[in-house]
Amino acid sequence: MTRLTVDPIDLAIFQSAVHSIAEEMGAALRRTALSPNIKERRDYSCAVFDGRGRVIAMGDHMPVHLGSMPMSVLAAIDAIKLGRGDIAVLNDPYAGGTHLPDITMVMPVFHDAEQEPLFYVANRAHHADVGGTYPGSMGPAREIFQEGIRIPPVRIVRGGQVDREMLDLILFNVRTPQEREGDLDAQIGACRVGQDRLLELAAKYEPMKLCALVDELLDYSERLVRAELRKMPAGEFCAEDWLDEDGVTDNPCRIAVKLTIDPAEAAITADFDGSATQVNGSINAVRAITLSACFYILRCLIAEDAPATAGILRPLTLVTRPGTIVDAHPPAPVAGGNVETSQRIVDVLMRALALAVPDRVPAASAGTMSNLTIGGIDPRSVRPFTYYETTAGGMGARNGIDGISGVQTHMTNSLNTPIEALEYAYPFRVRRYGYREGSGGNGAYRGGDGLVREIELLADAQVTLLADRRKFRPYGLAGGDDGVAGKATLLRNNLSNSLASEELPGKCSRQAKAGDVLRLETPGGGGWGKA
Amino acid sequence: MRVAIDSGGTFTDCVYLADGELRVVKVFSTPADPSRGVLDGLSQIVAREKYTGALDVRHGTTVGTNAMLERKGARVAFVTTKGLEDTIAIGRQTRQRLYDWFAPLPECLVPRELRFGVPERVSAEGAMLREPTEEELQALLESVRASGAEAVAISLLFSFTQPITEQRVEASLHNLGVPVSVSHRILPEFREYERAATTVVNAYLAPRMQSYLERLEREVTAKHPESRVDVMQSSGGILPARVAAEQPVRTVLSGPAGGVIGAITLARWAGFERIIGFDMGGTSTDVFLADAAQGGARLTRESIVAGMPISVPMLDIHTVGSGGGSIARFDAGGMLRVGPESAGADPGPICFGKGDKPTVTDANYILGRMDADSFLGGSVTLHDERARVMMQEHKGPLTSVEEFAAGILRVVETNMEKAIRVISVERGLDPREFALVAFGGGGPLHACALARALGIGTVLVPALPGALSAVGILLADAVRDYSRTVMLASDDADGLQGIFTELEKHARHELRAEYGESVREERVSLLRTLDVRYRGQGYELNVAFDPSLPAKALDNFHDLHAKSYGFSHRERPVEIVNVRLRIAVAAEPYAPKLASESPNDGSDACTGERSVWFDGVALSSSVYARDRLRAEARFHGPALITEYTSATLLPPGSGAHVDTFGNLIVTVGEMQA
Repeated sequence: MTRLTVDPIDLAIFQSAVHSIAEEMGAALRRTALSPNIKERRDYSCAVFDGRGRVIAMGDHMPVHLGSMPMSVLAAIDAIKLGRGDIAVLNDPYAGGTHLPDITMVMPVFHDAEQEPLFYVANRAHHADVGGTYPGSMGPAREIFQEGIRIPPVRIVRGGQVDREMLDLILFNVRTPQEREGDLDAQIGACRVGQDRLLELAAKYEPMKLCALVDELLDYSERLVRAELRKMPAGEFCAEDWLDEDGVTDNPCRIAVKLTIDPAEAAITADFDGSATQVNGSINAVRAITLSACFYILRCLIAEDAPATAGILRPLTLVTRPGTIVDAHPPAPVAGGNVETSQRIVDVLMRALALAVPDRVPAASAGTMSNLTIGGIDPRSVRPFTYYETTAGGMGARNGIDGISGVQTHMTNSLNTPIEALEYAYPFRVRRYGYREGSGGNGAYRGGDGLVREIELLADAQVTLLADRRKFRPYGLAGGDDGVAGKATLLRNNLSNSLASEELPGKCSRQAKAGDVLRLETPGGGGWGKA
Repeated sequence: MRVAIDSGGTFTDCVYLADGELRVVKVFSTPADPSRGVLDGLSQIVAREKYTGALDVRHGTTVGTNAMLERKGARVAFVTTKGLEDTIAIGRQTRQRLYDWFAPLPECLVPRELRFGVPERVSAEGAMLREPTEEELQALLESVRASGAEAVAISLLFSFTQPITEQRVEASLHNLGVPVSVSHRILPEFREYERAATTVVNAYLAPRMQSYLERLEREVTAKHPESRVDVMQSSGGILPARVAAEQPVRTVLSGPAGGVIGAITLARWAGFERIIGFDMGGTSTDVFLADAAQGGARLTRESIVAGMPISVPMLDIHTVGSGGGSIARFDAGGMLRVGPESAGADPGPICFGKGDKPTVTDANYILGRMDADSFLGGSVTLHDERARVMMQEHKGPLTSVEEFAAGILRVVETNMEKAIRVISVERGLDPREFALVAFGGGGPLHACALARALGIGTVLVPALPGALSAVGILLADAVRDYSRTVMLASDDADGLQGIFTELEKHARHELRAEYGESVREERVSLLRTLDVRYRGQGYELNVAFDPSLPAKALDNFHDLHAKSYGFSHRERPVEIVNVRLRIAVAAEPYAPKLASESPNDGSDACTGERSVWFDGVALSSSVYARDRLRAEARFHGPALITEYTSATLLPPGSGAHVDTFGNLIVTVGEMQA
């Protein structure tokens, strides 16, 4: 038994208090943002860091953001000396970001007259457009310069005042500047909400006590993970899986991992050597994403109510080779790394883990976020619009329970856009939204079914799809069948008013006309155990 | 005469006002038909008071709550726009637990074969794009009829902007002869899933609640002519029974809401502004938190009950499925578990003579915490021999019945402690800064143990702890909420006055129709508010609207936005989304009588000594009759303070004080055996 250096009740209250601050920042962001992707789908995350940039609390938001945000804070601290009332903004995947649509803000929190920040708060939100070749900034680009505006860590707020010049520089580079400005305002506000609540909290504690609580919280997370690792079998567990293609060539892209579990040292190593060299298309992941996937896996191994802090990563050694699909270098395009490759990295890690603890690991879930972006001019307002949404698929079956149908899994947990919000904001009509019957893999326990969604366009628009699991299906485990592959069809409204259909590749962009219908069918989860 | 009746767990509590004081009658609940208990209580009251006039009956019911928790509602047919039938099951396509690979399968209230699509469409702007033909409506009627549905929920896309098709579908399905709930009346707000789910819950409860409330009202007025029946809503206000029968979704937390209002009122009289309420009944326990400085009890429009979102306003109450009747057993792995199965009122605990499974009440009995002479005024025989023998049979590997009993209490108290952490610690609030207000049959028995576990220093056992929910219902205001979605740009704000005038006219008309001309104007209050946001946002802030200072509302909006969300822009366009009017009729004022007594040691209320177990040791403890304790009494534990349906356990090291209202205030100390 480890002895706590602080009172366990104090620790529990402090943990809940900082966690609820992260949640409150999220609520402020959701309630003030303008774009449906943030206000309805909650495609954002908020976190609280100590003065050294170590994460001590994260809201229950998007796992892919949460594991990678610490790098943003460290990048901001490295790049600029943030003073009182300053807020830094960044999105460059090669300087603390993950992909360009995810814009992160970082704010230092100063206590009284202290010279150094006591805490940092940060939030990250997915913007429906950040410029570049394709509306929605999620298209099949070949280098990062085509993916939108790159923002290294810079101040967007100086001493409490928004830097209008910096803001205009960003807004001049995007398709929907008014919506972006509203969303950026919401992010700035959320930082301030976090700051105010942290200062209230800090006032309740002696400074020394506060430091002790922070250290203890980090140690506590670490202990939980190490206790779990001690119970695991020792050994090396190797697994691989593939992304269908990169959207430029037809070649499958391999992701491979060797997990080394050392229960004696309560340590784990994830070595991704053997993964593909970085590719021409936009599915490259920066190292922060790979780390994020590892964080997610370790977090899932411990109790649901355990705190998600930087301590979780202490038992992990991550090995990646620079210039690979799991550790991309500039100017590789990366839009899909965050949303597609991140899910595949999780699939590979789980497949390896299933070799060590087979009963504890579910079969593969949908494994693609089925990212859809649509941009054009809304005939109702005669103004540009950009729409972004991911659609859930089937969850992999578990030992003892079927997989859940039509649910977000692993690295994402964004909501759907209510149809009533969608049609109010965009020139679309949703014709169908339901389960894709029979798409879950068979087995002793069935994989969850995917979803079917049909959107009719009421205006000419550029439709961009970034999806996977068309060729390599979500794997079953312990003898269960694979889930059914995903599919997308564009039904063209031709002159005779009958629909000609085109099955779309997983990663593509098409100019579509008013009256065309896009049908998206998402993959089912894998089955578990022999039927 | 005003009477409040709360038919919660084992007992149906009746509280009424006579000669300026609160009086209590308790009768056994009749779960198969709770109205029998209500009528029984009313008969006893009129007999006792020799009263023949009309009764103003206010009812707190758990019929809806139990149907939700036990999943025993109606077979609901869900009717929506064709192509979207599964949306009621898909929900918002998120998982509840982010990092749990073994989360259970969610269970939709509407199974697949009961989901129906109507070929129809309304645009976002409210334009009718496609209407169902009469043949299509007929076909729908036939398939719903064939499904054997017991209730129908209709929720079509954009019905809050254009309700005509919902009305046509309703008219057609009316022919089924089952209750039909329609989304544009239950919750005329956007976001189709939340609106549909709230409508489905309403339909799920409708058959049971309608027949229950209609029968109750009929029987009450048959026996007591000219009487009326109202029902407590989940939001803490009173609603006419007829309206509650149509909108049972508003009564899901009817009984518990009474407890919240009662606890807050009595605690405030006693000078406690920050409280954690702990209401332990027979089958479940409710906990809540109220801070007078933060506006009292929290209301929420984002409740989730039994896995379904409910978007009508409700008090923020957290419920766990354990109470005095919870059954204890050893599970397959040999672990002692308590609840969620309950022995309920029938057969009840072993010691009441009928039950044969050990319950929390039996454990309290074995440990000497129930006093046969005082329990229910001695009217219920406690079966000592039976309890000891059967507890012995069930005690598993434990060495003694006392050890088994103490184990049961430790498990159940841990469940309670966890529930309180959810509403305090998990929201970043320190329970040590609050007083624990304990009520319900079991609250006062377990309060000190719980307070000690949480570090809470003060326990308040209000006067009438076994009937506090009924007291809250008796003292609650009658409240109706009206709203209209207006979507006005801020410079159209001039029209607001007209809209409020119209709403007010309608509200007053309904008020008169319901309560007649007898309502005195000085007791009626109107609260006018606006839901405002910056154009393009998805959520609103609610600000007060003063007809004499209309511009003030928008000023307040900008200020509140800055305070809540860290920024505001006075030049940015504003949108007024909803206009809300709350009309409340204040309950007849009641001022509690204050006792003037001199300090005393309570010895004149001491009825004897009994042996009570604390931490494995039997200690001789004084027994006090609560109704004989005078104000300003001060004494120490170990002691048991008995009353009609409850008892307060005062452990060694703790001290009790009776205040001038008759509340028992316990200063919780460290255990010293």
